[in-house]
Amino acid sequence: MAPFRIRKARPEDCPDLLRLIKELAKYEDMEDQVVLTEKDLLEDGFGEHPFYHCLVAEVPGEQWTAEGHLIVGFAMYYFTYDPWIGKLLYLEDFFVMPEFRGLGIGSEILKNLSQVALKCRCSSMHFVVAEWNEPSIRFYKRRGASDLSTEEGWRLFKIDKEHLLKMATEE
Amino acid sequence: MECVLRPCRAEDCAEVVRMIKELAEFEKLPDQVEISDQVLREDGFANDPFYRCLVAEVPPEHRSRDGHTVVGYGLYFFTYSTWKGRNIYMEDLYVMPEFRGKGIGKKLMSKIAEIGVENRCSQMKFVVLDWNRAAIDFYQGHGAVDLTAAEGWHFFHLEGDALKQLARGQLGQ
Repeated sequence: MAPFRIRKARPEDCPDLLRLIKELAKYEDMEDQVVLTEKDLLEDGFGEHPFYHCLVAEVPGEQWTAEGHLIVGFAMYYFTYDPWIGKLLYLEDFFVMPEFRGLGIGSEILKNLSQVALKCRCSSMHFVVAEWNEPSIRFYKRRGASDLSTEEGWRLFKIDKEHLLKMATEE
Repeated sequence: MECVLRPCRAEDCAEVVRMIKELAEFEKLPDQVEISDQVLREDGFANDPFYRCLVAEVPPEHRSRDGHTVVGYGLYFFTYSTWKGRNIYMEDLYVMPEFRGKGIGKKLMSKIAEIGVENRCSQMKFVVLDWNRAAIDFYQGHGAVDLTAAEGWHFFHLEGDALKQLARGQLGQ
């Protein structure tokens, strides 16, 4: 039996997706920031116009599901647009449970994502990494990624809902 | 001056490409623009469009020195956060220099914010170049927070040969 398998997420994976999302948030010390629910994931990922796509990594494990598999990693991505070059693949989240690292799951997920990007004629894969996350930075730079914040000076900004509402409603 | 905001139509794509190039000039990166009118049209008017766009239009009597009535645009799309769900991403916001100072930029951004709220988005996100002080001040004036400074988020990309090598399962620069 193969040590692991990468496949597209299915609606019934949503509870596992949320479990892994919370594990990743915990690693980033942001667990209380996760307000997303299984219902949101289901509606937004498996409706007529999905807001995201997901790959999952599963390993065999008799004590888990009826099919004997455990989901131990995921990557969430969606398509974005650069008006200079066109379609891009944006990697939103990428996580493998610590106890399942070192098996090549991360590399295989990234390989799958790259193939999706090329198949969909995306020019590039984009993502953000926290500057303190040295293992991730090394992982991506080893694979040819460039830090555009450092090299070109791009800074990421956000505007929260409270301010969006203010902008949307003021004259 | 009267200025109307409306969704971009397929026939506006040539004008939008013109302004994309103007913005790239301003950002000192004009050589990076590879998009064409045709690609923008295909990608924006497909069954599942890859982006959405608003244009700002002035009446013919107020057209630009070069004769354009489409004088600004806001290009955006929906993204997703594993923490908070739907977000709206403002990719480009541009007003031709001779039409600035009339609130058109703010109108475009407010409309995108409104679209975000209507679609249950928790946040709007975008990037700004660190030397673009005028833009940073404008956005911070509307409640924007610099996540690169505040939380250390850096923007990465993986493209060209590196992307192809990864697809073949190879490491390397």
